[in-house]
Formats: sequence, C-alpha cells, structure tokens
Amino acid sequence: MSIQSISLRRDRGKQKLETRRRILEAALLVFARDGILASTTADVAKEAGLSHGSVFAHFGSQAELVAAVVEDFGAGVARRLHELAATGAGARAVFEAHLRAIGESEAFYARLVVEAPLLPARARDSLVTIQSSICFHLSPAVEADTEAGEIKIMPLYLLFNTWIGLVHYYLANRELFAPGASVIERRGKELLDHFMSLISTGGYIS
Amino acid sequence: MKTCISCGMPMEKKADFPLGDESKDYCVHCARSDGSMQSYEERAAGMAAFIVRTQGLDEGAALAAARSQMARLPAWRDLS
Repeated sequence: MSIQSISLRRDRGKQKLETRRRILEAALLVFARDGILASTTADVAKEAGLSHGSVFAHFGSQAELVAAVVEDFGAGVARRLHELAATGAGARAVFEAHLRAIGESEAFYARLVVEAPLLPARARDSLVTIQSSICFHLSPAVEADTEAGEIKIMPLYLLFNTWIGLVHYYLANRELFAPGASVIERRGKELLDHFMSLISTGGYIS
Repeated sequence: MKTCISCGMPMEKKADFPLGDESKDYCVHCARSDGSMQSYEERAAGMAAFIVRTQGLDEGAALAAARSQMARLPAWRDLS
C-alpha cells in the first residue's frame, strides 16, 4: 500500500469520526429541546446540516442513535465527575460534583430522567452506568464519613436512592420549580443542604 | 491517563493498577489477588454486586445492566 493511500484512508477515518461526533452533538441538542422520543432522525440531520441518509450511515436506526447519544452523554458525565470529585473530600463533595456534572447538560438529563422507562434497554442500562459512576466516588466517601461519625449508618443504596429521588423529582418538574431557568442552579444548594442535614448525625440544620 | 479495558475506570494513581503494575491495561478492581485479570463471569458478578449494594437493583436486573455495560468495553466487546 502506498503512503498516499494510507494517508487517504486515515483522512477518511478522521472525517467519519468527525461526522459521527457532529451527529451526536446535534442529537443531544435536539433531544434536549424537543424530547428524546418526540424527535426524529430527520430533525437530527437538519440540526447537524447533513442529509438524512448520512445519519443512517452512522447509526442504523433511531434506537441505535438514542442509545449512542445516552452512552456518549454518560461517558462525559463520568469523566466530569472524576475530575470534579477529585477536588474535594467527603460525601458532600461527591454530591456537589454530581449536581455540577449533570447541571452542565441539565435539559438533556431531565429528558432522560422523564423518558427513561420508555427508551430502548441499552439506553436504560446506560442510566444505571451513570449512577454507577457516581457510586464509585460516593461509596468510599460515605464509608469514611460514617466511620468519622458524621453520617448516620444506613444502607448505601437507600442513601443514594433517596438523593437521586430528590434530584430527579426536581428535574422532572423543573418548569414548576425554576420556570425557564436551571433548577440545579436555582435550587441545587438548597437540596444539597437539606439532604446532608437528613443524613448527618448532627441533626437538621435549617 | 489510561482507562481500564474491563470496567472503564480512569487509572491515574499507582494504587489504581493491579499490584501497582502500571503496565497493565486493567484496574485493581478487575484483577484477582495474584494480579491477573478476572474472567468475564467474575467481572460481571462483581459489577452486579456493586450495583445491588449501591443502587439496590434486583439481582437479575443488576446482572443484565452489568453485561450491557461490559458489551461496550474493549476487553469484552467481542465476547458479549
């Protein structure tokens, strides 16, 4: 194989990856704006400035595109959590990192929370993976805080699910709690203070 | 920075690697006590147990989610 043909193949590979990235980014925007299930591949193609066929050349079906967008989003949240969680210590720092990481794509994440039960299994499994990436940081932090006597002793999954239940409720009803704005920005600190008071051995701090 | 081929965990510190061996492409959580990499079934069971402990899922649902996650990781992509 000549150097020219190797170079040409490399350029095509790079271009393919760039187009795939462009489609994923456009889909994230469209899904966040119009809803995941309510959007079509034609909407995504239009947003990306590509032909409809080009979307199908990269993703064989709407379900495959949805799964890829959720996986890509989840990988980004996991990376961001890893960066943010490394800057603090204790359970509170992990919850703060969690709010910041999902807050950066709040509109899409809120759609994901609301529509998850109706999405393809692969996309639902990705939500479990996102939660696992939070728990990866949360588990040792809670163990340390519990050992230090700062957090009440309770099953980790109940502590985590209580937190997720609270955050997801506010996200699912973001138009009621923060119309036209970011609910995490507006109410995140209040939710975090409340939750930490609930699990703290020091009692409720109002 | 390396990412574990078996579970996707970022590996930054020496302690993240099995027996501190930074030449390995899998992390300490995916290794056996002798430093060798766990089998597919061992890893799936380990991930499912973590999901049950931290998220409280039903055991069967946790195992299905673990297998789904593994299907996208380099170490297991061809086995799933």
